[in-house]
Amino acid sequence: MAQVDPIIVMESVCKFFGSLRALNNVSMSVQSGEKVVIIGPSGSGKSTLLRTINRLEEIDSGRIIVNGFDLHDRRNDINKIRMEVGMVFQSFNLFPHKTVLQNLTLAPMKLKKLSRGEAESVAQELLEKVGIQDKAAAYPSQLSGGQQQRVAIARALAMNPKIMLFDEPTSALDPEMIGEVLDVMVNLAREGMTMVVVTHEMGFAREVADRVVFMDIGEILEEAPPGQFFQECSHPRAQRFLSQIL
Amino acid sequence: MIEVSDGAAIPRRKDAGLFSAWRISFAGAILILVYLAVSQPDPYYEILRFIPDGILVTFQVTICSIFFALILGLITGLGRISRNRIVNSAASIYVEVVRGIPLLVQLFYIYYALGRFVRLPDMVAAVIAMSICYGAYMGEVFRAGIESIHKGQTEAARSLGFNQAQTMRYVIIPQAWRTILPPVGNEFIALLKDTSLVSILAVADILRRGREFAAESFAYFETYTVIALVYLIITLILSKLVSHLEERYNHYGPG
Repeated sequence: MAQVDPIIVMESVCKFFGSLRALNNVSMSVQSGEKVVIIGPSGSGKSTLLRTINRLEEIDSGRIIVNGFDLHDRRNDINKIRMEVGMVFQSFNLFPHKTVLQNLTLAPMKLKKLSRGEAESVAQELLEKVGIQDKAAAYPSQLSGGQQQRVAIARALAMNPKIMLFDEPTSALDPEMIGEVLDVMVNLAREGMTMVVVTHEMGFAREVADRVVFMDIGEILEEAPPGQFFQECSHPRAQRFLSQIL
Repeated sequence: MIEVSDGAAIPRRKDAGLFSAWRISFAGAILILVYLAVSQPDPYYEILRFIPDGILVTFQVTICSIFFALILGLITGLGRISRNRIVNSAASIYVEVVRGIPLLVQLFYIYYALGRFVRLPDMVAAVIAMSICYGAYMGEVFRAGIESIHKGQTEAARSLGFNQAQTMRYVIIPQAWRTILPPVGNEFIALLKDTSLVSILAVADILRRGREFAAESFAYFETYTVIALVYLIITLILSKLVSHLEERYNHYGPG
C-alpha cells in the first residue's frame, strides 16, 4: 500500500488551559517522510501542538489521526500508537536510575518483548549512530547535556518509530553542544524519518525542513517551504518574529 | 588573599563522629548490660535468659507487620495520587481515620471489640492492627516519594508506549524508592517500638516476657531496666543500618 495518505492529520484542534486558548482551530497534516519545523514566539502553542500528536496533551475538540489511528477513539490503544511515535524532550528526561544502555533497552524489552541480546545489539547500533558507543555503561548524570540528548534520541529510536517528535531539543543545551545534537537530527532526516520539530534553530529549519510552520497565539499563521518562508513571508507577525531572531 | 588549602585539614565527617551520640549510647547500653549481668547475675542474668524468646516474637510481629504495611502503604499511596475519585477518596479516608485513632485503641478494637464477631488469635490480631495502622503512615510516605519524581519521567515513559502501571513499576517506583527509603526506615523502627503495645494482648513479646518475670520476682526495677536497654540496643542497631542503606542509595551510578 503506497503512503498517499498523510501520516499525521490534525483537524480543527482546540485546546484550552482554563480560559486560555492554547490551540485555536488548528489543522495541519504531515506526509510520511516529511520534515516539518514549527517555529513561533514562546507561548504561541507550538509545544502544545506537538504534544497533542502523541496525546501527552489532551485536546478539547477536533480530531487527530496518527498512522491511521484516531487518537481519541476509545477503541484504539494509545500505548500501541505511542510506540510508533518517538519523542525527544527539551529536558532530555532520561531515566537516571538506568545506565545509558538500559535506557535504550528498557522499552524494547518490556514492550516489544525483545530478548536482552537483541535489545542490546539494537541499542549498541543506535549509540554508534549518535556517536556515544563508549558511554553505554555510564549513567545519565555522568554525561554532558549534548550527550544526554543524543542518548534520548537513541532511546526514542530504539522503539523503531515511524514518526519522531522533537520538543525544543536544543533549548536546554550550552551553545557548544547544540551542533552535535543537530548533526544527529540532520542525519536522521536524511534517512527519511518523518519528523516534526519545534525549535528556534533557523539554520536547522533552512537545511532540513520540507515545510516551516509559523504559529502565534495558538494559530498557524503561515506555512511554507523554508526558502519561500524566510525570503518572502507575508504575515506581519511572522516578519516581526523573524526580524527579532535572525 | 586567602590561601585555600586542598581541604586536607578539614576532618571528614566520619572521623568527627568517633564520640558521636550513637556510639556513646550504644557502647553505654552494652557496657551497662554486661556489667549488671556479671556483677549481679541474680536477677540480671536471669532476666537476660528469660527475655530472648520475647525478642524473637517482637521481631516476628515487626517483620510480618512491616511486610503487610508496605503492601498496604503502596496501594494507599497509589490510591492517594489516583485521579479516580472513588479510589482517591477511599485511600484518603483510610489515612484520615487510622491516623486519628491511637494505636492502642485500634489494638483493643480489633482484639476485644471485634472479638464479638470473630475471635482472632492474639498474634494475628496484633499483626492486623499494626499493619493497618502503619499502612496508613506508609501510604503517606509512598505518596510523597512518588510525587517527588519529576513529571518529565512519566512523560518520557508514556511517550515510549508504557502504560500507567508499567510507568510506575519500571520508572517511577525505582526512583521514588530513594526518597522513600529513609522515612520507611524510620517507620520500621517506630513500628518495632510500638510492637511493645501488643504485650497487652497475650503476645509474648519482649515487654510481655519482662512483665511476666517481674510479676513473679517482684524485681520491677531490674526487669524494666533490662527491657529498656534491650529495646535501645535493637533500635540503635536498626537506625545504623537504615543510615547505611540511605548512604548507599543516595546517588545513582557506579559504587
